[in-house]
Amino acid sequence: MSAGLIPATNAAPERAPALELRSVVKHFPLRSLAAYGKAVHAMDDVSLTLEAGGSLALVGESGSGKTTTASVIARLYERDSGELIVAGLPARPFRGRAESLAYKKRVQLIFQDPFGSLNPTHTIRSILERPFLIHGLADGKADLEARLSDALEQVGLSPASEYLRRFPHELSGGQRQRVNIARTFAVEPSIVLADEPTSMLDVSIRMGVMNMMLDLKERKGVSYLYITHDLAGARYMCGSIAVMYAGMIMEMGPTDEVIRDAVHPYVRLLKSASPSPEAGLVRTPLDAGGEIPSLIDPPPGCRFHPRCPYAEPRCRESVPGLADLGGGRRVRCVLALR
Amino acid sequence: MGDTMLEIRNLSAGYATAKGFVRAVDDVSFSLGRGEFLGVAGESGCGKSTLAYAIMRLLRDNARIESGSALFKGRDLAAMTAAEVNAHRWTDMAMVFQSAMNALNPVLSVGEQLTDAVHAHRSVSRAEAEALAAEMLALVDIHADRLKSYPHQLSGGMRQRVMIAMALILKPELLIMDEPTTALDVVVQRSIIEKIEELRRRLGFSVIFITHDLSLLVEISDSLGIMYAGRMVEYGPAAELFNDPRHPYTEGLMNSFPSLTGPLRRMDGIEGRTPDLLSPPPGCRFAPRCRYARPTCSAGDPPRLEPLGGGRLSACPYPRRGEAYGCAPAAPAAPEGGSL
Ligand SMILES: Nc1ncnc2c1ncn2[C@@H]1O[C@H](COP(=O)(O)OP(=O)(O)OP(=O)(O)O)[C@@H](O)[C@H]1O
Ligand SMILES: Nc1ncnc2c1ncn2[C@@H]1O[C@H](COP(=O)(O)OP(=O)(O)OP(=O)(O)O)[C@@H](O)[C@H]1O
Ligand code: SF4
Ligand SMILES: [Mg+2]
Ligand SMILES: [Mg+2]
Repeated sequence: MSAGLIPATNAAPERAPALELRSVVKHFPLRSLAAYGKAVHAMDDVSLTLEAGGSLALVGESGSGKTTTASVIARLYERDSGELIVAGLPARPFRGRAESLAYKKRVQLIFQDPFGSLNPTHTIRSILERPFLIHGLADGKADLEARLSDALEQVGLSPASEYLRRFPHELSGGQRQRVNIARTFAVEPSIVLADEPTSMLDVSIRMGVMNMMLDLKERKGVSYLYITHDLAGARYMCGSIAVMYAGMIMEMGPTDEVIRDAVHPYVRLLKSASPSPEAGLVRTPLDAGGEIPSLIDPPPGCRFHPRCPYAEPRCRESVPGLADLGGGRRVRCVLALR
Repeated sequence: MGDTMLEIRNLSAGYATAKGFVRAVDDVSFSLGRGEFLGVAGESGCGKSTLAYAIMRLLRDNARIESGSALFKGRDLAAMTAAEVNAHRWTDMAMVFQSAMNALNPVLSVGEQLTDAVHAHRSVSRAEAEALAAEMLALVDIHADRLKSYPHQLSGGMRQRVMIAMALILKPELLIMDEPTTALDVVVQRSIIEKIEELRRRLGFSVIFITHDLSLLVEISDSLGIMYAGRMVEYGPAAELFNDPRHPYTEGLMNSFPSLTGPLRRMDGIEGRTPDLLSPPPGCRFAPRCRYARPTCSAGDPPRLEPLGGGRLSACPYPRRGEAYGCAPAAPAAPEGGSL
């Protein structure tokens, strides 16, 4: 059984991956005088692959660099170094607005906050029309109308006319996030970067939005990078997973395998901390204290070593490389080298 | 669990607003034994915080308790004068507020805030108060060095643990925690919950733990109360509620978080949205979203919690749900892709 309600690979093997990051680095320089020359190490040596038509979950605790990774892929920020490869083509600086527009059409970002991301002074109609007009996707008024209805009905908001004339505040959180998703899919992207799309929604309606995203994916054949801090949600949504800690990817591979037998001590910690009611009510206590380290002065060596129950002297000396365990599994830990 | 610490009987409370009275807690009853851990779950706006404030008698100016009682060790908190409540609040019963980690005073050190809490209620020397503060910090795994730290020098998880230390410093018998871990990462969340659990075993206080995250509560609670639109709709032992939910809303909530390690199956959550408490729907408030609803569900007064035996209660008059009619709801659609 593969994890995720979507098959891990439903793509022809010869197709280039939808997306690849190779050793990408992104630091945010600190502006204050006191911190002159220092920077937040938000992404260091981040490599990942999203297969065409696949779904990859990016999981990690707050501040680990997930949103930065999505922003670098969406090219809201340019990376400091490393390669970004989309559908086999290395990204290079945009030459003109047309290129940047074409990129943004292809790689769409869904934000966490369905409340902040829809302009409150615009109707749903004008919010949804925008992408069609900007990207010149509609062929006349009747076609635009049909596409708007279609976009809303795809996300379960029907009759569309009922929603088109409303303002964002006249919708529930779940409905707003559906509008957001409708807007994302309106431009027919090939890659969707979903940054915690359900974390602000009431628990009871989260599954509805998640299922809708799974259904849209099946129908449209897009590739997802799905960001979440919820391991179980990652498993539900994605065939593959990459776990980030303090700006680095610590472990990746098929979701079920990574959850079943995690190698990296941080991933094991994350797993033992995650709610799992069906696993029984008696749990073994966690064996690692402390919290995520400062990314301004990250610990030398493995960034997890200050909290790691298995740390050895060499863990403090140099950053372990990503060891390839085969079958798509990679682990950044000295334990994997034995 | 022996004796009863808290008994809530038909408690109603709410807010006077320009548009009318919002009855955020509507005829709620439950009881809590000494040393018991009760989890209260429900969606945003269902009245969880209002329930906590009503018990603590900390309701805001536009809010009031309409009717019912809250017996704390046999004495009715709802009927006490302000002075009588003051004698109990913080000393016998304490609360950790929602978003408490931002509730610390930014200009006072952690030590000053802890000792102030002691001096406000006990006549002890400064040295005694400081010793108590250091002891409480140690209980929540924070080194006494941190007494001199200011809130901004602590991480979110540490601030939350300071708040717990402050709530426990006068050794209350009842601790109410309103979403104490919601803004925190899972690892920090888990370590705080384990800390509370350990302290409860050591010190023997009772806990009411409020959250919207049911998956968390199932593991840690003795009993669970599920609230919907101001009403308690199901109550009982936590493991039984999880394995065999009786109220359709509880069942829907249990279908709202995917499994970490169990078989992967399509989960549907609950369609629709929570009702407006200014004009709640007639009959069962969950009826508009309920997959088992019958026309009779949407008429008359809301159904009350009725005992089902074994300490379980449900406010759905059809405790076996669809089965009572010999008709189960349509089976959920199989997940796509055949990856199961
Ligand atoms: N524009 C920016 N300028 C400076 N620092 C930034 C900027 N954006 C992010 N950071 C810092 O980079 C680190 C990673 O942040 P990021 O938002 O990527 O984390 P995240 O994993 O998405 O966290 P969360 O789960 O809280 O959303 C953090 O320390 C953050 O403060
Ligand atoms: N000061 C107030 N004035 C008027 N109405 C209020 C006030 N505070 C809360 N309410 C209303 O009372 C209801 C219950 O609110 P309460 O804060 O108890 O919910 P909750 O279950 O704690 O929600 P959450 O999970 O979001 O914290 C809500 O409908 C809310 O809008
Ligand atoms: S009474 Fe009807 S609507 Fe209410 S909970 Fe039971 S079945 Fe649902
Ligand atoms: Mg983020
Ligand atoms: Mg609340």
